[in-house]
Amino acid sequence: MNLHDALQAMMPEHLLLLGIVGVLVCEIAGRSARLAFGVALACTVVSTLSALGMALDHQPITAPFAGHYSIDAATALSKAVVLALALPVLLIARDECRGAEFPALLLSSLYGIALMLSADSFLTLFLGLELMSLPVYALVLQALRRAASAEAALKYLVLGGTASAMLLMGASLIYGSSGSLASAGYAAALASNDAMVRVGAVLVMLAFFLKSAIVPFHAWAPDAYEGAGVPVTAYMAVLVKAGVVLALVRLLGRANLGSPLLELVAWLPLASIVWGNLAAMRQPTLRRLIAYSSIAHAGYLFYALLAEASTRLQAVVFYVLAYGLLNLLAFAALPPMADERERDRLDNLRGLFHRAPFAALMIGLAMLSLAGIPPLPGFIAKFLIFRNVMAAGHTAYAVAGLVASYLGIYFYLRVIQLMFMSPDARVDAVPASRAATLASFACLAGTLALAVFPGWLIARL
Amino acid sequence: MSEAAALNWVLFLPLAGALALPLWPRERDDLTRAATLAVMLVQLALAWWLYARFDADVAGLQFETRVPWIASWGVSYQIALDGNNLLLVLLTAFLGPLVVAGAFSAITQDVKLFYAMVLLIQFAMVGTFVAQDLFLFYVFWEAMLIPMFLLIGIWGGPRRIYATLKFVLYTAFGSVLMLAALIYLVYTLQSTSGISSFAFADLMRTRLSLPVQSVLLIAFGLSFAIKVPMVPLHTWLPDAHVEAPTAGSVILAGVLLKMGTYGFMKVGFPLFPDATQAFTPMLMALAVLSIVYGACLALVQDDIKKIIAYSSISHLGYVMLGLLSLELAGIQGAMVQMVSHGLIAAGLFLVVGMIYERCHTRELAAYGGLARLLPVFAVFVLLLTLASVGLPTTSGFTGEFLVLLGAFKSAWPVYQSGNGLPLVWAVAAVSGVVLGALYMLRFAMATLYGPARAPHQPLADLNWREKTILLALVAAVFWLGLFPAEPMRKTELAAKAYQQTVSTSRLPETKR
Repeated sequence: MNLHDALQAMMPEHLLLLGIVGVLVCEIAGRSARLAFGVALACTVVSTLSALGMALDHQPITAPFAGHYSIDAATALSKAVVLALALPVLLIARDECRGAEFPALLLSSLYGIALMLSADSFLTLFLGLELMSLPVYALVLQALRRAASAEAALKYLVLGGTASAMLLMGASLIYGSSGSLASAGYAAALASNDAMVRVGAVLVMLAFFLKSAIVPFHAWAPDAYEGAGVPVTAYMAVLVKAGVVLALVRLLGRANLGSPLLELVAWLPLASIVWGNLAAMRQPTLRRLIAYSSIAHAGYLFYALLAEASTRLQAVVFYVLAYGLLNLLAFAALPPMADERERDRLDNLRGLFHRAPFAALMIGLAMLSLAGIPPLPGFIAKFLIFRNVMAAGHTAYAVAGLVASYLGIYFYLRVIQLMFMSPDARVDAVPASRAATLASFACLAGTLALAVFPGWLIARL
Repeated sequence: MSEAAALNWVLFLPLAGALALPLWPRERDDLTRAATLAVMLVQLALAWWLYARFDADVAGLQFETRVPWIASWGVSYQIALDGNNLLLVLLTAFLGPLVVAGAFSAITQDVKLFYAMVLLIQFAMVGTFVAQDLFLFYVFWEAMLIPMFLLIGIWGGPRRIYATLKFVLYTAFGSVLMLAALIYLVYTLQSTSGISSFAFADLMRTRLSLPVQSVLLIAFGLSFAIKVPMVPLHTWLPDAHVEAPTAGSVILAGVLLKMGTYGFMKVGFPLFPDATQAFTPMLMALAVLSIVYGACLALVQDDIKKIIAYSSISHLGYVMLGLLSLELAGIQGAMVQMVSHGLIAAGLFLVVGMIYERCHTRELAAYGGLARLLPVFAVFVLLLTLASVGLPTTSGFTGEFLVLLGAFKSAWPVYQSGNGLPLVWAVAAVSGVVLGALYMLRFAMATLYGPARAPHQPLADLNWREKTILLALVAAVFWLGLFPAEPMRKTELAAKAYQQTVSTSRLPETKR
C-alpha cells in the first residue's frame, strides 16, 4: 500500500467521510440542521466531481489496497453516477427530515455504496454492503409516524440480515474450496464442477436477489417503501438498488453465466418484471406503486447480466442513471401535503394538473420514461439492455422480457390519467419547498441531457 | 436558406412552439391560438417551398441531413425527403393550420396544454415521415402516442378514458413487437456484414432466410396493421374517433392512420420482400376484407362520426391493395389515395365537428333538411361526400381508380395462368366503391334533405373561419383530382423503386 495512492484513489470516499465528520461537528456545536445539510450537500458535490474527474482522466487501474480495493475509469464513472443521484435525495430531504441524523446516515450509507463499487474481495464487498444497509434500517425507522414504519423497518432488517447471512455463507463455501477471498474466486466458482462451490455461487446470487427485491424475494419492498419517508423511499428505490446491482456486475467481472445460474438470472427477473408490472396496477399509493415498479425494474437490471460480460457495466450504469433520475424526478415533484400519510395516495393526485401544472408535468414525464416510451431516456436504457441480451444470443429471453415490459404501460398511464383527466381532488395543498423544486429542475435537466445526447455517456462506459 | 435546413425547420418548428408555450402568459388564450396558428402556417409555407424545389428526376433521398447521434451503435439523426414521404409531409403540414383553426371555438379548457399537444404530435408525425434511420423512425413513431393519449383523454367525450386507453394499449402492443424485431434485425445485420447501422439504406441490404423474414414481417406488420387499421385489428378506431375531440379525429384520420400504410411501404414490405411475396394472398384478402367489412359497418351506423370512422377502414384497405398489387399504377394510386383520404376524412370530421358544436349530438336521426337551414354548410358536406364516394375530378376518384386498375392489371395474368383468386379479390374490392356510395349518400340524404330537423334552432351558418378552413380543404381535394400529374410525377421514381425492391428476392446467397 502506498499512502499517496490511498489518498488519491479513494478521494470520493474521503470526501464523504469529511462530510460525515462535518455533519456531526455541526450537530455537536448545536448549529442548525440546515447547515448540516449544506455541508453534506457540498461534500457530496465535491465527491461526485472528484469521481468524475478520475473517470474523464482515463486513469489506469489504481489499487491502494491490492486485492481488496481498486478503481479504474469505468468504476469511477459509475461511482460518479451513483453519487450524483444522491444529490436530489439530499435536496428533497432538506425540508422533510429535519435534524442532522438524516445527512449523517445518508452519507455513511453512500460511503458503503462507494466501497462496494470498488470491491475486489468478498471482505470489502461485505463491508460495503453492511455499511450501506445499516444506516438505511435506521432511516426507515426515522420516519416513525405510524406503527407501520416500525413493522417495515423490522421486516427490512430481518430480510437484510438474511441476505447478509446468505452472502457470508456463500462466500465461505467458495473460500473453503479456493482458499481465497478475492472476487475473482466467484468467476472461478461459476465454472466449477464442485457441488459445494456451486451452491456457494448460487447463495451469493440469491443474496443479491434478496437485496434488490427480485421475485420471489420481493415481499419486503412495498411495505418498507411505504413505511419510510419520501426521501428514504427515493434513496432505497434508486441508490441502494443501484449499488447492489453494480456491485454484482463487478463481482461477476468477465465471467459468463452458465447453467444453472443462467436460467436463474433469466427466469426470476422475468418473473419480477411480470409480477411487478401486474401488481403495480392495483396499488393505492404512489410509494407502493413505485415499489412494485422498482421490482420490475430490478428485473430489467438483472437481465443486463445475461449479456456479454464486457457490455454489462455500460448497460447497468446507463439504466441506473436514467431510472434513478426519473424516480427522483417523480419524488421531488410530488407536492407536499399537510398530512404526510395522505401525501401520495393516488386519489389525491386527481386533477393535479389544474392545481400544480409543473408538478403534474414532471410526474407525468417520469412515468412515461419509466414506462419506456421514447424518446425519453428510460427507452434508450431499456433498448440498450435488450439489445445486449439479444446480441448474446438469448433472443427468446429478450422477446419475453420486452413483451412483459408491455404489461407495465397501463399503470404508468393510469397515474397520468388521474393527474390530467380527472376532476380536482379538492385537497389542501402546501406549496412545494424551494429545495425540492431545485431537485426536480436538476433531475429534469439531467433527463433531457440524457435524452438528447445519450451517445456521450454510452461512448464513455 | 438551404433546402436541408428548411426541412429541419419543418420538423423542429412545432417542437420549438410546444416548448415555448409554457412560458406564454397564462390568461391569454387568444394569443396562444394565434401563435400556434402562426407556427403551423410557417411550417406549411416551408413544406410547400420544399415540395416545389423537389426534383422529380432524382431518385432516392433529397435535402438530406445526417449527423451521428449514438455513434457507438451506428444510430444517426438522418432525415430527408423522397418520393415516398414528400406528399405525406405536405399533407401533414397542410392539415396542421386547419386543425389549429378548427379548434378555436371548440377548445376552451386547458388551451395551452391542448395546443402544446397538437404541436408535439405534429412534430412526431413529420418526424416519422422524414426519418431515414430505423431507430429514429421508431422514436418518432412512439412519440406520437402520448400527445394523442392526452388529446383524447382530456378533451374527449364521455367515454374518453376507455377509448384512449384502448387506443394506447393496442398501439403499444404493436410497438413492443416492432422493437423486438428491430433489435433482432439490426443485430443480424451487424453479425453478418459487420456494419453497425440503423439506416434504411443499409438495412435494405440485409439478406435473411424466409422463416426469419416471415417472423420479422409479422412483428413489424402487426404494429403497422393496428395503425392502418386492418380488419380484424380495427376495434380501437371507432371508439377513439367517436370520443376524440374534432381536432383529435382530424389528426387521427388525416395523418395518423397513414402511418400504418406508410410503414408498410417504407419499412415492412421493402425490408422483407420474400416474406411479403409469400404473405401477399393473405394480406390481399385482409385488405379486401377491410374494404368490404368497413363499408358494411359504415352502412348501419347511427352515429355520424362512426360512419366516417368505418369508412376510413374501408378507404385505407384500398391503399393496402394498391401497395400489394406491385403494379406501378396501383402503387401510385395508393400514394394518391393516402393523401386523398387524409384530405377528405379530415374535411368530413371537421364538418361533423362544426354541426356538433352547434347541436351537441351526432345522432344521424336528429338531423334532416340541413340544406335549407344551413345552405353553405350543406354545399361543403355534399362536396366532401361526393369526393369520398369517388366522383371523377375529385382526388377520391384518382386514388381509387388507379388502385383498382393496378389490382386488375396484376390479377389478370395470374388469372390467365389458372389462378382466379386475385381476380376475385379485385372484383370484391370494386364492390367497396358501390357500398361507399351507399353509405355516404345515406349520410348526406339523411342530414341534408327531407323535412328540416335539428336539435337546436335557429342555427347559425358557417362563419368566415369555418368557411376558410373548408374552402382550403375542398380546393386541395379538387387540385389533386384535376391535376394529379405533377404530384404523381414527383413520386413516380419512388414508386418504381418500391416496386423493384419488393419484387426482388433477398434470400441469403447459398454457400457452395
